[in-house]
Amino acid sequence: MISFRNVNKHYGSFHVLKDISLEVDQGEVVVVIGPSGSGKSTMLRCINRLETISDGELVVSGIHVNGKQTDINDLRKNIGMVFQHFNLYPHKTVLENITLAPIKALGVDEKTAQETAVFYLEKVGIPEKANSYPSQLSGGQQQRVAIARGLAMKPKLMLFDEPTSALDPEMIGEVLEVMKQLATEGMTMVVVTHEMGFAREVADRVVFMDEGKIVEEGRPSEFFAQPQAERAQLFLKRVLNH
Amino acid sequence: MLDFSILTTYYDLFFKGFLTTIEVSIIGLICSFILGVIVAVMRIAPLRILNYFGTCFVEFIRNIPLIIIVFFFYHGLSVYINLSGFAAGTIGLSIYTAAFIAEAVRAGIQSVDKGQMEAARSSGLKYIQAMRYVILPQAVKIVIPPIGNQFINLVKNSSILGVVAGMELMYFADYIHEKTYVTFDTYIFAAMFYLVLTIPLSLFVNYLERRLARSY
Ligand SMILES: Nc1ncnc2c1ncn2[C@@H]1O[C@H](COP(=O)(O)OP(=O)(O)O)[C@@H](O)[C@H]1O
Ligand SMILES: [Mg+2]
Repeated sequence: MISFRNVNKHYGSFHVLKDISLEVDQGEVVVVIGPSGSGKSTMLRCINRLETISDGELVVSGIHVNGKQTDINDLRKNIGMVFQHFNLYPHKTVLENITLAPIKALGVDEKTAQETAVFYLEKVGIPEKANSYPSQLSGGQQQRVAIARGLAMKPKLMLFDEPTSALDPEMIGEVLEVMKQLATEGMTMVVVTHEMGFAREVADRVVFMDEGKIVEEGRPSEFFAQPQAERAQLFLKRVLNH
Repeated sequence: MLDFSILTTYYDLFFKGFLTTIEVSIIGLICSFILGVIVAVMRIAPLRILNYFGTCFVEFIRNIPLIIIVFFFYHGLSVYINLSGFAAGTIGLSIYTAAFIAEAVRAGIQSVDKGQMEAARSSGLKYIQAMRYVILPQAVKIVIPPIGNQFINLVKNSSILGVVAGMELMYFADYIHEKTYVTFDTYIFAAMFYLVLTIPLSLFVNYLERRLARSY
């Protein structure tokens, strides 16, 4: 589903992604962890070309993300993305937030789009908020709307960039619960998070990044029990004992 | 005391000029707004060449006097095409105002959180769609006050048509002045006609500003 081969990225002279190679299979849930500034977001954002790579090969659903022939909008329709700060459209209602892309990018008619939107709102547990504006929702509710917005495109793949980092502690659970359910249903997911409990419980694989490199990857049971790399050990010690 | 006989005697001329001023203002308002938004989008579009032309337009136009732009269309083009004073003035005024509107709109667009564009684009919307449905509606709120001020300037600047026989208020005020030699009163009356337009416009902008501040 996703294949990074020897991918590098530079911001000017700063080498942010160093020789990244990573395969994500269909239906797999990969959790990316690592210290702040290690390049997790950048790597994630390369997958839907919010960032471009400098060299190497990046293929998603059989399509070269940075290929000259690639219609990036078509590719993006298959990739849902959830951001740390939700990025809901403040001037649109919850329903309009969810139906915009299906109507304008997929060409779905308005009625069908609304039905789909309500379906996913029920799935994330807040159908009663359809006609509210984002500013009238709690952070946890907003993030659940953002997830519903991504799902309404019926993507093959969902990307999550620290979806709970901006939430008050009491709202983290409700968002993780929705993500957990998605994982159970077989959605392919790449999740950047500091929620080690989620990684341990839901991930098929954990990827640990540091200073632009993938330092270690493995099954969560093994990774958390016995991280091999010294930097991974240090990182885990810090996040688990905070 | 003002000499109201100027107003009563030449009422029809004042009024004719006033209507033309309104006409210029409305046409200029629409044209400069459309052109300004296009130039603003050019300045920030993810395409170097467009940025370049957008920036050139803005920097060139807003750094030369309005009268030169109007003269360009009135006298400068006369070899190729004969524009009336009204047409040349309105085109010049629209282009001139568009440069300022473009700057206001650009600042407004850029003040919208960049996560909005990212969310829209990552859902598969084209750049233009993201602009139209997500960014511009939010930018409007920020941009209304400065654009309102530009429109008020536009109404006042429409007096430039007076120098190219544009048949608006200033042209007729000059005409009446030359006929009567009554300077002070003539121009005071002309000023009043401008105020009739600009004060409500200004109040309307304030009203919009307050209303938008309350929305969502
Ligand atoms: N647009 C940018 N220009 C220059 N440097 C950037 C840019 N975006 C991120 N960086 C740098 O790249 C590094 C990795 O950033 P990021 O991928 O956001 O890390 P993480 O998500 O792991 O915290 C950081 O040092 C950050 O400062
Ligand atoms: Mg990050």
